[in-house]
Amino acid sequence: MAEMTSAGPAGLSRRQEEEAFYHEAALNATWTGTRLMIGILVSAIGCFIFAFFYLRSLNSHNDWYPAGFTGPKQWQGAVIMALIVVSALLQSAGLTQIKAGRRGAWLGAATVALVLGVVGGALQIWQLTVLPFQPGASGFASVFVGTQPVIIALVLGTMIWLEILLVRARGIPEISFVEQPPTFAEAADVQRFQASLSALTLFWNFVALTELVFWVLFYLIH
Amino acid sequence: MAIETEPGTTQHPGGGQPAGGAARRPWWMRPAIHTGLIGAVIGYAFGHWLGNLIASGYQQVGTSDQNDTAIVLGYLFMVIGWLAGLGVFNDLFKQMAGRRLAEAENGNGPGGLAQYFRFHLDHKVVGIQYLVGMIIYFCTAGLLAMGIRTELLSPVHHVFSSATYIEIVGEHGTMMMMLMTSVILGPFGNYLIPIMIGSKRVAYPRLEALSFWLTPAAFMILLSALLLGGFHMGWTGYPTLSIQDTSGADAYAFAFGLMGISMTLAGFNILVTVICYRAPGMRWSRLPMFVWGILGTAVMMALAAPVLSGGMYMLLTDRTVQTAFFTDQLGGSTYLWEDVFWFFGHPEVYILALPGFGIVCELLPVFTRKPLFGYKVAAAGMIGVTLLSFFVWQHHLFDSGINPDMRPLYMLTTEMISIPTGFIFLVGMGTLWKAKIRFTVPMLFCFAFFFNFLIGGISGVFNSDAPADVTEHGSFFVMAHFHYTIMGGLIFAFMGGCYYWLPKMMGIKLNEKLGYWHFWLMFLGFNSTFMPLFAVGWLGQPRRVFEYALRLQTLNDWVSISSYVLGFSILLFVINFVWSTVVTRVRETGNPWESRGLEWQIPSPPPAYNFEHVPVVLSGPYEYGSEGSEPVADLNPPVGVLAAAFSGSETARAEA
Repeated sequence: MAEMTSAGPAGLSRRQEEEAFYHEAALNATWTGTRLMIGILVSAIGCFIFAFFYLRSLNSHNDWYPAGFTGPKQWQGAVIMALIVVSALLQSAGLTQIKAGRRGAWLGAATVALVLGVVGGALQIWQLTVLPFQPGASGFASVFVGTQPVIIALVLGTMIWLEILLVRARGIPEISFVEQPPTFAEAADVQRFQASLSALTLFWNFVALTELVFWVLFYLIH
Repeated sequence: MAIETEPGTTQHPGGGQPAGGAARRPWWMRPAIHTGLIGAVIGYAFGHWLGNLIASGYQQVGTSDQNDTAIVLGYLFMVIGWLAGLGVFNDLFKQMAGRRLAEAENGNGPGGLAQYFRFHLDHKVVGIQYLVGMIIYFCTAGLLAMGIRTELLSPVHHVFSSATYIEIVGEHGTMMMMLMTSVILGPFGNYLIPIMIGSKRVAYPRLEALSFWLTPAAFMILLSALLLGGFHMGWTGYPTLSIQDTSGADAYAFAFGLMGISMTLAGFNILVTVICYRAPGMRWSRLPMFVWGILGTAVMMALAAPVLSGGMYMLLTDRTVQTAFFTDQLGGSTYLWEDVFWFFGHPEVYILALPGFGIVCELLPVFTRKPLFGYKVAAAGMIGVTLLSFFVWQHHLFDSGINPDMRPLYMLTTEMISIPTGFIFLVGMGTLWKAKIRFTVPMLFCFAFFFNFLIGGISGVFNSDAPADVTEHGSFFVMAHFHYTIMGGLIFAFMGGCYYWLPKMMGIKLNEKLGYWHFWLMFLGFNSTFMPLFAVGWLGQPRRVFEYALRLQTLNDWVSISSYVLGFSILLFVINFVWSTVVTRVRETGNPWESRGLEWQIPSPPPAYNFEHVPVVLSGPYEYGSEGSEPVADLNPPVGVLAAAFSGSETARAEA
């Protein structure tokens, strides 16, 4: 984003200069903040991944995944994971469209991504209600039941963010994505939107990756 | 009104206030603390009802007559109601509905005292909110400590039952360890960091404000444990006791987890602010040492606190939906708790220590009128402590069944952390060397910090040695050690910071005579309280037990009486705080310490937006005593400099 605002700051009044300075800082903060937040969430999710491997390796009383234990249904996990991953891919594809100035194409892709994400989150909630085991049935069961709500919160939280951006996009004229808007305020608005959208896409990909990692852990390795 | 800031101190630009238009409603309709309380009560009632609906049929509820699900859901919805009542979600819902947020100029609402009871987006307001909050939390936990020492006056005559005693110990320890993590970052970090880096705002004002408003909720929930039978496993919350304990353990886990979220948000905001909002010329090599200290703290908070919240969440699921994370017989492990808890718990020690080091490094040059000796060494020391803090936590498991082959490694990493800590210590000593020292109240607290931390640090090196640790574990020796590092370090630095920065934050200087009394009583009271506890520990008195050998009564009585002196010194501080800020209100609007710090180059209290114009930093903050040193910043830089600073064009920069 930096190059978008750096074009010709000369000739600005002091107030405009300061507005541009803080606008630039805000764009950088979006970039930095997203990556930092991903780092923080890696730390939080790492706690559950650590629990998975720690308890699995300890296998206390042979109760990590005891003989005869029935795990969650494979198809459920695969469908949920696929929905989230496809949603993230769609959003990524949509981002390239809006960067090319095609807002309509992004709106379509993002709406489908939103629906898939919400359905994926809802299915995860539903899955928790039909599990074939009790939460304390084994070490695996504990980690599974404990981790799922955290992932659900991540998925639904990100979908709220996407919904906000979808609504916000409607207020920005389509031409602003193609040409430089006439006023600084409008240009700043578009740039902030694009920065936020890039941040969301990165974040949603991270959530999808998390979903994929836990799918591998819960359904392939367990 | 006790606290003054300029009216309309808002975030700018892009920092719209929540609940825009609130000023037009009558006061009782505006989101503030009273609506928050109403929301909390409604939320708790709803959550409790829901919990009973869901879990009343559970087998463990029937057999134990204790519905932890109802308690935890009550707390969850209470916090949601509290935040909703404060108006925290207003902007979120507005954005979801496609409405634009009110700009800073429109929605600030009334200033004055009322703004301190609202979800406010000005970092200066949040800083003051934190300051008052932290003093309340600290005094509450301190009163609990008085209760502990009162009980220990006699090994045979009891004030409390053994169960009540351990509840008080747990409350005191948890309240101090979870809430005091923010005692410096909260008030001084939030208030001063943006000003010290030359910014008019923070990166995420909503998250910053949220980080504060979670603390009263955590505080109240933790206190509510006493109504639910308390918790008996102390602040470390070890299973299996924490799983089997009364519902007070729900309060413990929920409050601590909530505070973990608060710490994460606070650290996140500070990190992004320092990285992205520094004024032109504020290079990394010119950052004030206080900012370095807070930066290190923020890194640790952002990375360690999420693990704490994760651990507390696991404990809550074990207690409510009956997962078995920490139950060995069902495939879990109590060691999992120890790892997860201490992965936060040990960096926490440095979360508590680094801001203190930041404060003393900031104050020493001011009162010695010398440049800081070894600026880069001090910064390197802080970075070193931050990094190493994540590699020492297993020393807390020396006595609980750790693989013996792992002990030397963690002995080594723990002892290694004394090296960067020593860097900072030596920087302090080097700065004091041959200096013409001004013995002001803040400076005295700096001296006390070094004295206390030296004792705490050396006893820490001693404890890090596995054979010594095995001997001292669970005794008052360890207790004395960590009080020397945490209270002797952090709280003394906090007090020094209060005397130093309150003229900046409130435009009012605390009474100096009372300040000297406060210092000497606190310093002598503190050392008289905790020094003998090393001996008490060596002589075999265990922690968390309310009866002890008769031969130790004299020492214990000495300690208890000293603790009353210590308590009185804190009372004196509170009296001084209220007396100076409410009753006498002697104005101090200039730069009373003749400091070169950027924060002192603007009026006190700082005006709206902190600076009239974005400053350009010209030199470091510690260039004292050198003839012809440049001013620290140009507060009114010519037009064009700012544009050049962020244009990325070298030519433009050179021209500017």
